[in-house]
Amino acid sequence: MARGLSLYVEGESPLHRAHPLTSGVLTLAAIALAFTLPSIGWVAGLLAVLLALAAIAGVLRRLVAVAVVVLLPITVLLLVVQGLVNPANATVAIAIGPVALYREGLAIAALSALRIACLVVATFLLSFTTRPADLAEALQQRGLSPRIGYVLQSALQIIPQTLETAGRIQDAQRARGLETEGWLPRRARAYLPLLLPLVLSSLVATQERAMALEVRGFGRRVRRISRHVFHDSRTQRVVRWALALSVPAAVGLRLAGWR
Amino acid sequence: MSEPALVLDDVTYRYEEAESDALAGVRLSVAAGEWVGVVGPTNAGKSTLCLAAMGLAPHFFGGRLRGAVRVFGSDSLTVPVPERSADVGLLFQNPFTQLSGARERVDEEIGFGPECHGVAPAEVDERVADAMRLVGLEDLAGRHPLDLSGGQLQRLALAGLLAMRPRLLLLDEPTSQLDPAGTEAIFDVLTALHERGTTIVLVEHRLELLCEVCPRVIAMAGGRVLADGAPERVFNDEAVLAEAGAPAYCRLARAAGLPPPWPVRLDDAVAAFGGRRA
Repeated sequence: MARGLSLYVEGESPLHRAHPLTSGVLTLAAIALAFTLPSIGWVAGLLAVLLALAAIAGVLRRLVAVAVVVLLPITVLLLVVQGLVNPANATVAIAIGPVALYREGLAIAALSALRIACLVVATFLLSFTTRPADLAEALQQRGLSPRIGYVLQSALQIIPQTLETAGRIQDAQRARGLETEGWLPRRARAYLPLLLPLVLSSLVATQERAMALEVRGFGRRVRRISRHVFHDSRTQRVVRWALALSVPAAVGLRLAGWR
Repeated sequence: MSEPALVLDDVTYRYEEAESDALAGVRLSVAAGEWVGVVGPTNAGKSTLCLAAMGLAPHFFGGRLRGAVRVFGSDSLTVPVPERSADVGLLFQNPFTQLSGARERVDEEIGFGPECHGVAPAEVDERVADAMRLVGLEDLAGRHPLDLSGGQLQRLALAGLLAMRPRLLLLDEPTSQLDPAGTEAIFDVLTALHERGTTIVLVEHRLELLCEVCPRVIAMAGGRVLADGAPERVFNDEAVLAEAGAPAYCRLARAAGLPPPWPVRLDDAVAAFGGRRA
């Protein structure tokens, strides 16, 4: 059976031990800053900080491996498109026959790629060092509705559960002679008969789960007492506020002409 | 005399848009501490009986319920299901859909229900440990629920209910997807629970097992109660034999031409056939 989609990696680093809200605020602030900071130097610096944090958390190698897979095609696409056709292009950087990549476009592409890299790295850093259930729990302790908390916690398990159901249906269909292997058109055709039973079984499962949740008291109007006590400290609170305030500060500076 | 755990007083229930009643004039009473088996063919109304006792019919399914369903004295129509779950637990056939879908460890999954009930953390931990011990999942506390086998998953679903300390446990064919070892494990847990004083209503199609553990059996068909009483009386009723079947020992003795009452338990069957041989 498929497991949940959690990417969490066990560890004892400061990031692993940090309050989930601190990790969450760090991620959000890093993403917001990546798209606010004005130049390649600043954004590259932010990326370096995130990578240093990943190294401290002991997840650098794993993070780079995953991030490269995500970022490489995006970066290549950005460099080619912007280098070729950005309206600001004026100075040729590389010419291959009649095709030229321009310095201005490449610079814009590099800045965009770095920003996206910060987004991806910050997100994976959070995923590798913080359990989604802990983050949802911490948010509920700060007043988030249990229903929204449940949606956050369950979202990561929906995909593997659906894949597991789809696999079961396909096995049953194969056993009855449906050809699901071979070249692409045949495999594509095999997905059509999968859709209806998959949708129907998902609807039934959703109804059963809704019943099961009620039977377990979900939605009962009582004050829920959390079992989890997350370590928090004055330092972490200061860090959270500093990170949160850094974003409007950066926005203010940009509006004031920071380039 | 203590309050009955469950009373259905002339209950008729029809699902929305259904053309016939799923329950038709059902009258029964289950005393606190009893272990009652419910048997019957498909569409007999067994599952609907459980849903009505839990309050899901009509609270969740809609439809129209006439008569009264009382659980420990309170009317099911006036109590929402999440509130009712403080007293009553309902275990479905499919353990997979009974997971909260929001917990990544077995012990956290078991604690989900008590947490929803606002139970204090120390007590939740105690209940979780107790439930895991009862169903034999202590060694799997840190595993992801989706990594468990079917039998383990059903024990997990049961543990999730037990941690809520229900006084009445409704089980709708809990062993239908289990192998013999998994079934035996569930029945061992139920026996322990019954000894602790939990009232159990068990819908089950493994009639031989049912007769071994339940002092009372209710046979249903077409939404009605056909017979209600000791297993040897119920399964010697011709109407029950025709509609709901009977344990293998009973059918074998009947086919062998033994005179009624036909045996419903292994020991009785051995004695019946042994006596014939002698």
